[in-house]
Amino acid sequence: MGFYHFLSLGIILFTIGAVGFLIRNNTIVLLMSVELMLNSVNLIFVAFSRYLYGTEGQIYVFIIMTIAAAEVAVGLAIVISIYRLFGTLDISKIKLLKG
Amino acid sequence: MIEQAVFWLLGATMIVGGLGVILMPNTINSVMSLLLSMLALAGIYVLMGAHVVALFQVIIYIGAVLVLFIYVIMLLNLKEGGLKLPMEASTYLIGGSSLGLLVVVVWLFWQSLWGTSFRGDGGDLQASATLHQLAVDLFSQHILIFELTSVLLLVAAVGAIIISKK
Repeated sequence: MGFYHFLSLGIILFTIGAVGFLIRNNTIVLLMSVELMLNSVNLIFVAFSRYLYGTEGQIYVFIIMTIAAAEVAVGLAIVISIYRLFGTLDISKIKLLKG
Repeated sequence: MIEQAVFWLLGATMIVGGLGVILMPNTINSVMSLLLSMLALAGIYVLMGAHVVALFQVIIYIGAVLVLFIYVIMLLNLKEGGLKLPMEASTYLIGGSSLGLLVVVVWLFWQSLWGTSFRGDGGDLQASATLHQLAVDLFSQHILIFELTSVLLLVAAVGAIIISKK
């Protein structure tokens, strides 16, 4: 397999995550789509690290994983408080800003 | 040969899992699809020789992040869900223009990378960087972002408690 196999896989996964972020209404599924996009970026980082013989790619992957864990902790706390406030997680029904 | 078969199998599993995340009507099924996708991704990391990254993928993502997702879904006891896509004219307009933008981005990516020679074979299971090498690099050149990340993690933990507090 060449580098482009892994790169294509990462691009496809990122596209799936981005489309999911745009078409779904459920807030938890939106967070999971963000996770998918972060994972695809990780895959591309590791592929570059593999083919350029460096360790930086893998180190950045560790940092991204830590940031993702922090993001999920804060995001799910926000989800819980949204559910407490509105009784729903459908973001098309949550419009305090009347957008 | 066997590496190629493993690559296509894991890649197909990952993409099917990713599609399941965004298409499953029930949220818990989405989480299980995400689990499938991340396990396949860990396998791809092993195939690329990034054993340490695969280990952390399993520990952090599957062990911590997905458990947190499942915990919140069970806590909230969600009934709603499903894919409700409003089929209006603007939907097709925005979808078509996003697709066009995606094609342009992929084309630019390909143009800038094409002709770059990447030596070596990705699927040979040889470790690309040993744990020792990674640790030395992390704690010498990248010590600043390491420390900043630990501070950020502390802030996020405190913030999550304060936000979810009644």
